[in-house]
Amino acid sequence: MSGQRVVVTGSGVVDGHATGVLSELLDATEARRLSRVCQMTVAAGRLALAEAGLAAGTKLALMVGTEFGDMVSTIKFVDDYLQRGIPGLSALLFPHTVMNTMAATTAIAVSAKDVSLTLNAPTVAGELAIARGAAAIRAGRIDACLAGGADEPPRFVVDTFRAAGATDVRGDGAGFVVLESLDRARARGARIFGEIIGEAWRALAVRPHGVGRPGHSPAIAAALAGAAAEPAEIGIVYTSANGDGPREEWERALLERALAPHRPPLRSLSLPAGRHAGVAARSVATAATEAGDGLALVHAVARGGNQIAIVVAGPRARAA
Amino acid sequence: MKPVAVTGLGVVSPFGAGVKAYWEGISGGLCAIRPISLIDTDGFRCQIAAEVPDPLGGSARRSRADRFALAAAREALDDAGIGRAERADTALIVGAVGGGMLEAEAWYWQRSRGVAVPMPRAVASCFPSAHADVVGSVLGIGGPRETVVTACSSGAASLAMAADLVADGVVPYALAGGVDALTRICFMGFNTLKLLDPAPCRPFDRDRRGMSIGEGAAFVVLEDPARARARDARIYAELSGYGMSTDAFHVTSPHPEGEGMVRAMREALGQAGIAPAAVGYANAHGTATPQNDRIEARALREVFGEGGLLVSSTKSMIGHTMAAAGTLEAVATVLALEHELIPPTAGLVNTDPDIPFDCVPRVGREIAVDHAISNSFGFGGQNVTLVFRRGA
Repeated sequence: MSGQRVVVTGSGVVDGHATGVLSELLDATEARRLSRVCQMTVAAGRLALAEAGLAAGTKLALMVGTEFGDMVSTIKFVDDYLQRGIPGLSALLFPHTVMNTMAATTAIAVSAKDVSLTLNAPTVAGELAIARGAAAIRAGRIDACLAGGADEPPRFVVDTFRAAGATDVRGDGAGFVVLESLDRARARGARIFGEIIGEAWRALAVRPHGVGRPGHSPAIAAALAGAAAEPAEIGIVYTSANGDGPREEWERALLERALAPHRPPLRSLSLPAGRHAGVAARSVATAATEAGDGLALVHAVARGGNQIAIVVAGPRARAA
Repeated sequence: MKPVAVTGLGVVSPFGAGVKAYWEGISGGLCAIRPISLIDTDGFRCQIAAEVPDPLGGSARRSRADRFALAAAREALDDAGIGRAERADTALIVGAVGGGMLEAEAWYWQRSRGVAVPMPRAVASCFPSAHADVVGSVLGIGGPRETVVTACSSGAASLAMAADLVADGVVPYALAGGVDALTRICFMGFNTLKLLDPAPCRPFDRDRRGMSIGEGAAFVVLEDPARARARDARIYAELSGYGMSTDAFHVTSPHPEGEGMVRAMREALGQAGIAPAAVGYANAHGTATPQNDRIEARALREVFGEGGLLVSSTKSMIGHTMAAAGTLEAVATVLALEHELIPPTAGLVNTDPDIPFDCVPRVGREIAVDHAISNSFGFGGQNVTLVFRRGA
């Protein structure tokens, strides 16, 4: 591992808090051709790159987390067939039924030709994508990436989940942070908002769709170890609280045990606009801002056991 | 790249469950593409695919794809001798596209006709990530868990991502693979794009008319070679390099010059530290669409030059298994190195003059090669090349 330092140089989020920006960030052809979730993804990517002052180009990687992909288009593809038979099938809609469609359209829009990965996970996909992106830069595999996620949960799916007892608050939107190596950011004189100093993701022993017991959190332990940080240094935690009571209770218990006896304040940015994979970018960017000269932890754990921990340092914390 | 050892293989293919059945099928040049039985094909131009035969095994309450994944993952772990204790610190990376959509579609079809049917358990597992959660939970795998969707290269991307985790020392072992079952959406979509041949596909043939779809799953166990030797594990091969690139050109069509494919292959060779001439065999993406085969051949020629390289497409026997394809073909490549036999391109009669390679028509070729590549390319211009070195 080359041990590159990973810094945040830009962020962009498009969701209920950023209405009206799509028309400014997409050209007429994109607005006509792209599905809504792809439009949001492209727009968020452009916002983040603009803030980073990074020109679109070939040495840019993409890490896109998503829970639902473009399921709105998938349902339309199926409904058109069920209503009109074979003549109803759309060759234009079919590619949108594959979850990497947001990554594909964004790669084209910003000319990102390095590796592009779409990571699918329930409720924590954005955090997973940011952790994977940070690890790739740290290992020297990529120079820079847009990392975050996008979701547009279809009404039908949300209603079906609710009917089955789900209580979590879902939103739609997209968000990215720009991650790059400290050396590269310094060389181009980029503004540095913060540094990701440790990241890890692990699976807890939980049945699919279930929550677990408040046991050990290997992801938090590994992220802190990677950051060479102690729990007491964490000034604030951004959690994945999303209105799912049992899951939130589990997350609180995991954090209490992992950081004990330290009990930093817990905050979630999911609830105001609903949780989507792009919220992870907002959490990391806000954590960098709020950390000041200290550290913040971005934490997420999903039903089914996928746990992600990202340790973020403010711009002054480690002389970034 | 620090090489990683391949110490376990597991397969569920249109030849049935198990690596043995798979190798017997593809090394023998058998074609498993037949009339579709799983879904209604009335009115569609193409009505064939490569289905996994019964019996499937596993709980019928699970989705078909989950059952494929579980069977293949179990075989790979057992083959590598990875027990319960080691699994707690093993990464699980799954390439997936269709998830449990086959069952979700059946429910949604009925519901749309006004039939009041309760939502089956499998519908809750319709997303691609369901496979990793099921495999991880049932087999007790506690390391990093990821589901990657890079369309038809997902199964190859999963191996590359897993190799990173092993090479970086994050985990001692990784279980990586791909899985997909047939779905109505996939079948209808490729029919709509007019990319399916009504007859079994014929990659690289002058008269090829499109692809055949298939289904299955494959997993491999990756670990540090020194660790594998220390525990006397069987090393089938080493994954010595990979390349992943994006065309950033078109949502469905590859770059006409194969520019992204060339970058992926060169990156992979660079990581492996070998010259193009050292590679003896390429398991091609080889879908049998007129455009894709021509562009892949162009990219191969750009990297390797004309002639020397043996190129075959195992899709000619098991169809295009979508997210499983990258791993099934990686396993085919590893077994080709191990058995010193290159699987053929079944159904190839007249090689397209635009394909300047020996495409191993119809009959496998006995030859020992030290290095081989496996190409996988997906919608969105997602290119992955894996390089394997013959095991010591």
